[in-house]
Amino acid sequence: MAPRPIWSGSISFGLVNVPVKLLTAVRHKEVHFNLLHKKDGARIQLKRFCSAEDKEVPYEDTDKGYEVSPGRYVALDRKELEKLDPKASRSIEITDFVDLEDIDPIFYEATYHLVPDRGADKAYGLLFRALEQSQRVGIAKMVMRTKQYLCAVRPLERGLVLSTMLYADEIVPEDDVEGLPERMPKAAERELAMARQLIDSLSVKFDPAKYQDDYREKVLELIDKKAKGEEIRFAPAAREAKVVNLMDALRKSLAQAQRGEGGAPHEAGGKRAARERPAARERRRRPAKAKAKAKRSKA
Amino acid sequence: MPLVDIEGRRLKVSNLDKVLYPAAGFTKAHVIDYYARVGRWMVPHLKDRPLTLKRYPDGVDAGSFFEKNAPSHAPEWVQTARVEGSTSATDFVLANDLPTLVWAANLAALELHPSLSRAPEMERPTMMVFDLDPGAPATLLECCQVAVVLRGMFEALKLESFAKTSGGKGLQIYVPLNTASVTYEDTKGFSREVAQLLEKQIPDLVVSNMKKELRVGKVLVDWSQNDEKKTTVAVYSLRARERPTASAPVSWGEVEAALKARRPERLVFEAAQVLERVEREGDLFAPTLKLRQKLPGLATGRA
Repeated sequence: MAPRPIWSGSISFGLVNVPVKLLTAVRHKEVHFNLLHKKDGARIQLKRFCSAEDKEVPYEDTDKGYEVSPGRYVALDRKELEKLDPKASRSIEITDFVDLEDIDPIFYEATYHLVPDRGADKAYGLLFRALEQSQRVGIAKMVMRTKQYLCAVRPLERGLVLSTMLYADEIVPEDDVEGLPERMPKAAERELAMARQLIDSLSVKFDPAKYQDDYREKVLELIDKKAKGEEIRFAPAAREAKVVNLMDALRKSLAQAQRGEGGAPHEAGGKRAARERPAARERRRRPAKAKAKAKRSKA
Repeated sequence: MPLVDIEGRRLKVSNLDKVLYPAAGFTKAHVIDYYARVGRWMVPHLKDRPLTLKRYPDGVDAGSFFEKNAPSHAPEWVQTARVEGSTSATDFVLANDLPTLVWAANLAALELHPSLSRAPEMERPTMMVFDLDPGAPATLLECCQVAVVLRGMFEALKLESFAKTSGGKGLQIYVPLNTASVTYEDTKGFSREVAQLLEKQIPDLVVSNMKKELRVGKVLVDWSQNDEKKTTVAVYSLRARERPTASAPVSWGEVEAALKARRPERLVFEAAQVLERVEREGDLFAPTLKLRQKLPGLATGRA
């Protein structure tokens, strides 16, 4: 299936303007799973729960909180944040041209195909050829979905591609990494020669098609087998969750305490004797039972 | 020095007239007598548990020290268990018989603090414990309130729990496990979730944080004793307080009755009362020795 454009605008550098569309260049093939409840195979739903009120909260009633210190948040509402969003512009503005080798692969994030928009073939061709012949990469800034990206524009075989890149301060510098050798130890000449010989003998031209995701293959194979056999779980209609969790247990306990069966946490003593229930009397008989049991075990 | 004969072991006891609880005139002879008489019920609870002795050689008003390593002068029949630590190994005393308990009493080891594990399986707790410690002006009454809520929670989770007084101001709730595969990671994680949930839901009554200043008027639900390296005071152990109080098992009925009548003093027991109770009613804590219960998995939404 041909990917659909996710963004359209234009590349600009100097006085040249090239209308383009951005198409995703990557298909993530990781096998995607849904979470099911072991017991009944129902889909697990994630809900937004308020930890204080213990109830579900609609998205509109949420703010974004930034934790300034443990347990302390500065809350920002969406309108405040929207004001700070970078101006959605429709331009990929190339400001510099650099050598491809100067960009360490660590900076690359995601890659998109750039396709000429209607009537832009000629300008597109010009940019493609110029980049190809100068062996350079255009460095540009663009805004996609409220985020400003740094990106690299370069020619591939039949067209241009754009790679979004990380900003320098998003890369963890090696100096912050513990455990790297203080000084790279010297290697003995003979050992080094042997290691290099081994590398030479294993050196080939990089062929990405040679490498496959074995794990994914195995998972898909297993899914295929199960789908053909009978071991498929059909999700039953969603019902109220019935996992006994601590919260349920606490609620039951508090309700019981409030009914006066065990001494309410906030109104202990006093008037409760009047509305005492049989259950409470039953409970009080327990020590007698324990007593009898203990006596038996003593004998 | 007088020699006593206990279950065939000959033991020297010393300074019997030394007053260890000055406010009560309770002497070392009283301490030894208490442990000798309560031992029959207490030893099964201490069996094979590496024991930390808290010694008060000059009584409760003077200094104390924790003794983890069995002293070199211990009689050869005192059993020990070696526990490897991160830096060194410790040879803990195991109070596996009455003579050992009396020997410890003679060392003025007023307080006995056992591990939640039985040697040699030190990674496996046989129970989970919650230490409820009130911060003034909260008292034992507030502890009872929290204890009753905890008991109800465990009931809803189909777990039976047992209460004992700390012998001080608090209560301790035990959930016996006695199952093979449980680890401290399990009990610690579970108890922490419980404590934090209680703190969140009844914040005017409960804190789960150890910081003293947070505890004012509230009950600390201390879950952190569910740890291989920690100990909790033994059931029936004396406490080094002004009066010779002991950590006494109490029935849930007694907890509720004290709460209802608002009479926390009904849950304070001194050595003589503890003996009288156990002789009359048997060991209320006996079920914790055998009861096998499985800690349920937590449905907290975390993976």
